[in-house]
Amino acid sequence: MWQPDREHSDPPRGASGRRRGWLVGLVLLVVAVLAVSLTLRHERAQAALARALLQTYPQDVTAHPVLVRFAQAQARPLYAKYCAACHGADMRGNLVLGAPSFLEHDWLWGDGTVFQIERIVMYGIRSGNPKALNVTDMPAFGLMGRLTDGQIRELVQYVMKLSHRPYDAEAANAGDMLFHEDRVNCYDCHGPYARGDPDYGAPNLTLDVFYNGGDAQSIYDSIYYGRHRMMPAWDGKLSLEQIRALAVYIHEAAKDAPPRPAGELAALN
Amino acid sequence: MLQKVTQRISLTRRLWRQLAHWSVPPQRGLALPLAGMALGLALAGIGIFREAPHQLTSVPPGYVALVNQQGILTSDFISQVATEAEEPFDQTTPAQRAQVLDEMIDKELLVQRALVLDLPETTTEVRTVMADAVNAQAGAPLLAEEPTEAQLRAYYNAHLDRYSTQGTMTVINLVLHVGGYQNADQTIGQAEADAVEAVYQLRSGSPIDYIEEHFGFVDASPQYDTQQLDFAARLHLGPQLYRIASTLGSGEFSDPIVQSDGVHVLVMRQRQPPAAEDFASARAQVYTDFRLAESDVAVQQNLKLLRSRAQILLAPGLSE
Repeated sequence: MWQPDREHSDPPRGASGRRRGWLVGLVLLVVAVLAVSLTLRHERAQAALARALLQTYPQDVTAHPVLVRFAQAQARPLYAKYCAACHGADMRGNLVLGAPSFLEHDWLWGDGTVFQIERIVMYGIRSGNPKALNVTDMPAFGLMGRLTDGQIRELVQYVMKLSHRPYDAEAANAGDMLFHEDRVNCYDCHGPYARGDPDYGAPNLTLDVFYNGGDAQSIYDSIYYGRHRMMPAWDGKLSLEQIRALAVYIHEAAKDAPPRPAGELAALN
Repeated sequence: MLQKVTQRISLTRRLWRQLAHWSVPPQRGLALPLAGMALGLALAGIGIFREAPHQLTSVPPGYVALVNQQGILTSDFISQVATEAEEPFDQTTPAQRAQVLDEMIDKELLVQRALVLDLPETTTEVRTVMADAVNAQAGAPLLAEEPTEAQLRAYYNAHLDRYSTQGTMTVINLVLHVGGYQNADQTIGQAEADAVEAVYQLRSGSPIDYIEEHFGFVDASPQYDTQQLDFAARLHLGPQLYRIASTLGSGEFSDPIVQSDGVHVLVMRQRQPPAAEDFASARAQVYTDFRLAESDVAVQQNLKLLRSRAQILLAPGLSE
């Protein structure tokens, strides 16, 4: 009967072989313990940062670079998932939807502080949430028959003048009078100098920043059909920590945005 | 084939015989129920002695206070402080913040008490506010989109009866009182006969003053003998007299109208009937009505959804 050649196929294990085995096992154990400990430590540190992010008053968060970095890391995927669809992956907004760009150094609602951004993310704009921003909206002056086609065209020229674009002087003067007329009442929301009112979400018309397009036709449409921007309330859908992180992320992106070159501005609008 | 069937039958019989003689060893027979009992007791013990639901003993991040486990959001606190102090939060004093926090805690306590007292169930005002808030939430998304010109026109065409200018009338309401009313001692029949004669004479050109004096008519509402919008005239005359008045033209007289206080005759001095408004002049109203109708659709849809998820039982004999 054939017998295997034990000498060649299964060499006897010596003391050094066993030692090597123990050593490898020990190294693996140490590596595993280290990995687990580092993971736990990292998780504890993340949890501590999340707590600190929420325990710090929103206006004070930006004074802590560690918190800002943490918030940015947390918010980046959240922004891509929940905000980019309307405000754009590059944060430059969407003219069709009227979703504002965050990079214009101008805020439609509020003053652009972390707190204000956080409130808007949390409760939304005209979202139906009782705490949402919902003071007024841009009336549909044409649709409601409060202004004629000619009057709207005059107002368009006045807005073009305000935003430093080519305009028809005669029509713009007539538009100026309409703008300040009690019957039309544009100045009530946009202010007597057309610099807007962030409490009403009324845009500053002197900045050449238009969230629904700044060409004559888009401005005409804004006056004729009105604007009724909406933003959902994320309260209850995102955690407080996620909302704070998003607010910090948007705030920092807006703060660091370079001034837009005039050519690019004209192309966008 | 037959052999196979016979073999199978005998196999089955053998199996049945074995099963019939099978018995559980006495130890195993006791062990299983005991194990089951122990498991049952253990589960019951866990249920009875388990710790009560976790109670928060410190304020979680993102909140400024916990009132009976109900949090007050830091964000709401900052907003409230800034609103009450009328200055940015970071410029407010600790005393201002403490005062606002006190107020917010008080309010939370009152709201919790309201829930304990079941105010949403018992207080009309609370129920109304809650229902209105839900309706507003339901209608909000629909209002995001402005209607088109075609939608407004279609709505106007479908509701033409709603779009007319208010009519005006200057009407005199003469009345012959009956029974004991204002010391009148005539019967309805007598008053009605007099009123028929009075109307005949009025239509023949007799002056109103003469008719008033001759038949003993009283002007029932002399303070309203001026031009009034239709809705005001309706309030003053009441629905029955208004319905008749609105059919009269300028200078016309009504037939006698019998009411509980006597027999009335209406004299229409001047009448401007309501006129249909064209789309351009009714536009603002059409727009408002369209928006309201849209909201109403959202509210109804929301109610439909709520009803589809609700269990609603009606008492016998009742139906919706």
